Amino acid sequence: MKKILALLLAAAMVFALAACGSSEAPAATEAPADATEAPAEAAASSLAVCLASEPDTIDPALNSAVDGATLVSHLFSGLAKWAQDETGALVIVPDAAAELSEGVENEDGTVTYTYTLRDGLKWSDGQPVTAADFAFAWNRAASPALAADYGYMFEVVDGYAEMWETDADGNIVNPDAKLNVTAVDEKTLEVTLANSVAYWNELLAFPTYFPVREDVVADEAWATDPSTYVSNGAYTMTGWEHNSVITLEKNPNYVDADEILMDKIEFYLSDDSNNMLTNFENGTWQLIDDVPTNEIANLKTEYPEEFVVAGQIGTYYVCWNINEAILPASSTLTGAEAEAAKAEIRNAIALLFDRNYIVEEIGQAGQVPASSFVAMGMTNPDGTQFYETAGSSDEYNGYYNVSADAFEANFAQAVETLKKYYTYDEATGMFTDFPTLTYLYNTSEGHKAIGEYLQSALAGVGITMNLENQEWNTFLNTRKEGNYSIARNGWLADYNDPICFLDMWVTGSGNNDVQFGKGGHKDVAIYSLDLTDLGYELKVENGTWAQTYDELISLIKSCTDNEVRYELMHRAEDLLMSTGCIVPLYFYTDIYMLDDSVQGFFSNPLGYKYFMYCTVAG
Amino acid sequence: MSSKTLLYILKRIGLAILTVWVVITVTFFVMRAVPGGPFMSEKAVSPAAQAALEAKYGLDKPLMEQYITYLKDVVTKLDFGPSLKQRGRTVMAIISDGMKTSAKLGIMAAFGALALGVVLGAIAALQRNKFVDKVIMVITTAFVSMPSFIMGSLLLVLFAVKLAVLPANGSTAQGLILPVITLALYPMAYITRLTRSSMLDVLGQDYIRTAKAKGVSGGKIIFGHALKNSLIPVITYFGPMLAYIVTGSLVVEQIFAVPGIGRAFVSSITNRDYPLIMGTTIVLACLIVVMNLVSDILYKVVDPRINLE
Repeated sequence: MKKILALLLAAAMVFALAACGSSEAPAATEAPADATEAPAEAAASSLAVCLASEPDTIDPALNSAVDGATLVSHLFSGLAKWAQDETGALVIVPDAAAELSEGVENEDGTVTYTYTLRDGLKWSDGQPVTAADFAFAWNRAASPALAADYGYMFEVVDGYAEMWETDADGNIVNPDAKLNVTAVDEKTLEVTLANSVAYWNELLAFPTYFPVREDVVADEAWATDPSTYVSNGAYTMTGWEHNSVITLEKNPNYVDADEILMDKIEFYLSDDSNNMLTNFENGTWQLIDDVPTNEIANLKTEYPEEFVVAGQIGTYYVCWNINEAILPASSTLTGAEAEAAKAEIRNAIALLFDRNYIVEEIGQAGQVPASSFVAMGMTNPDGTQFYETAGSSDEYNGYYNVSADAFEANFAQAVETLKKYYTYDEATGMFTDFPTLTYLYNTSEGHKAIGEYLQSALAGVGITMNLENQEWNTFLNTRKEGNYSIARNGWLADYNDPICFLDMWVTGSGNNDVQFGKGGHKDVAIYSLDLTDLGYELKVENGTWAQTYDELISLIKSCTDNEVRYELMHRAEDLLMSTGCIVPLYFYTDIYMLDDSVQGFFSNPLGYKYFMYCTVAG
Repeated sequence: MSSKTLLYILKRIGLAILTVWVVITVTFFVMRAVPGGPFMSEKAVSPAAQAALEAKYGLDKPLMEQYITYLKDVVTKLDFGPSLKQRGRTVMAIISDGMKTSAKLGIMAAFGALALGVVLGAIAALQRNKFVDKVIMVITTAFVSMPSFIMGSLLLVLFAVKLAVLPANGSTAQGLILPVITLALYPMAYITRLTRSSMLDVLGQDYIRTAKAKGVSGGKIIFGHALKNSLIPVITYFGPMLAYIVTGSLVVEQIFAVPGIGRAFVSSITNRDYPLIMGTTIVLACLIVVMNLVSDILYKVVDPRINLE
């Protein structure tokens, strides 16, 4: 009897297993189907990559993410584009425009550019691309009605200021205002800039400047589904399984379609770096844009060719809240003297950190120790690096010497400076009355490791710094509101011009985390600026932040002489760094892994990746 | 169905609606009290742009007014509004996309766990203290005591990395195998143990002995009396199991990058995508409430002795 039972149960189990098996059966039959398709596809090349998780949007006007910009750059064609020349150097070349013409300066100082569109430009649905499409797209992207993150990219275009003018209550005054952009005829586009802009061509290659068609974007959900997504670039979107994969296929209507080598690109959507690495290692994905931090050391030795460290224009830094009281309780300094002392103290503390240790032991991704705020990768008009000419020293780049052998001297110098203000116990080598600090960072293992290093470096001289982490969105809010004493910060460039690192520190900027010119700092008048040698009338002694830095930035924005403009930007950085509120730690790098079978890949300094000219060997 | 039962069911449904309303209200106000906001980003938008966005999505109105409008839209039109982060997509579209995957994952895990758990439990009970029983008990103890994120990582390392037979990414059909197993192991082990002890209990009952004495065949005893009655605790576990699978999938979906509702839920919170937070919370809350209700009603069907009052 028992045996029959056992048999019955065993049969039941087998049945149950079979039932489970059958639910997985479609997957099992799918695999061979893929395998049989593969030979047929051998003629058509394809690539599977993973940059990040699901993009918030791939509407060119609304996107503000680097991975979204990569997708949009494959799908749309603006007046200009990034490309590689014969030597492999990155250049901006005409794309939809026949040529990137020079601007003509008008009497009022504005500059007008006229572009002619190339022949045969078509949307992916076959309709012709017209100059009016560009004019429409630009007005849309810049408008308060869309309120796009990167709407301010059109700040340089005449008419933008009127568009965004607000009354005392913050209401938009001219809802019908337009940019000074006109479609003269089907193929001629005329745009007037408020003044000459050194990086204008680069802006033309920026996704926010890409065209969209009015009837397409009338449907607010147009950019979320392949059936409604009409583009004009090298690829069309043929599939979007949300949170899973976006598929791009070569656009036969693209005017340069015969130059496009890769037929199909699958952008897998994941932000899990462990998952990315697994798929890279088992050969599923040919490029992954992130790797687990704790694997970096291994990967560098295991995949010396495939682990890539590319330049990226950005700075990782620590920022002080300028209104934070850091003088000892016993200090008798007040007013301007106290503010000057605080700046000196902050600058001294910046010397206590060993940046080489941070990049080699913690970052491990080829980051470059930084001693200035404007990032490596930004260039002067003569082509030299902006950061190499920053600061006043001839011996080193930037505002302090961050080479490994200078650390000891820096440290000693910092201690000497701090001794002026704090009680120092010679026996222990510790300061005894430095107020306790709190370092704020957003929750992440990498940021935590750096915070712990900074904490231990300060503890070495008796300064107590507690660590506090907050979830990303809360952290942004706290930092923006200035409810912190010292915080982790970072900034990536939007375009290759130092102004995008400098104008964020004007009093009214939404990114002014340091709180320059706000709260108690509003009336602090200790800043001096003399621009008479550059032909300006501006000369301020002991002025406020608004009287000096804010003025300087507005002069830079209206300056048309490039040489002078860059000199002004260097001076703005000098002023910024003199406050000691910005403590640069390193310049960012972009690390990714690229399968060695892939040829013809390139990326730009903003981190956008280009797959259209790729071929896969074997 | 007696009027008493009907009254009980109606009462339970009323209570379920109340529960969901409380969840909606608490989530709505707590979510808005959390610092940060949907338009917060590393690169701050200008105050004018911020104001324009808030006006566009009605976030500039008084909170109470927003709450009432929201409730009205949800109740009368089942309209969860647009996502603030994924511009152009509605919350409904995002949830239904995620739900397709999550439901597949959850249903496969639930039925796999039930089928295997009951069978293994029954075998263990019938083979009590023999080798098979001991093996089953050791394995299930291990599964019950191992949290899903460890189990998931182990399976990932073994099958996706070392053996490289299954994909690590859960976005394909094949990719769902590992997450389904991860999600099913705990309830499967729990059901096995539950079935085993309850079956042992039932096998010792007088009516089984009576049936044996009356000469009823072994198969009939097992399937007709013992198994049916020993399934009552399993059914009581049905509700908590589905709750476990729904909440457990938040972790599992994260590990295997499964594009389900769990991931949408987690990312909506980090993004402060208010309508999506509300939408996913409501759907998950309804799911758990309904499952509990169903399993409560099922008790009654399976065991008439249970007094619903």
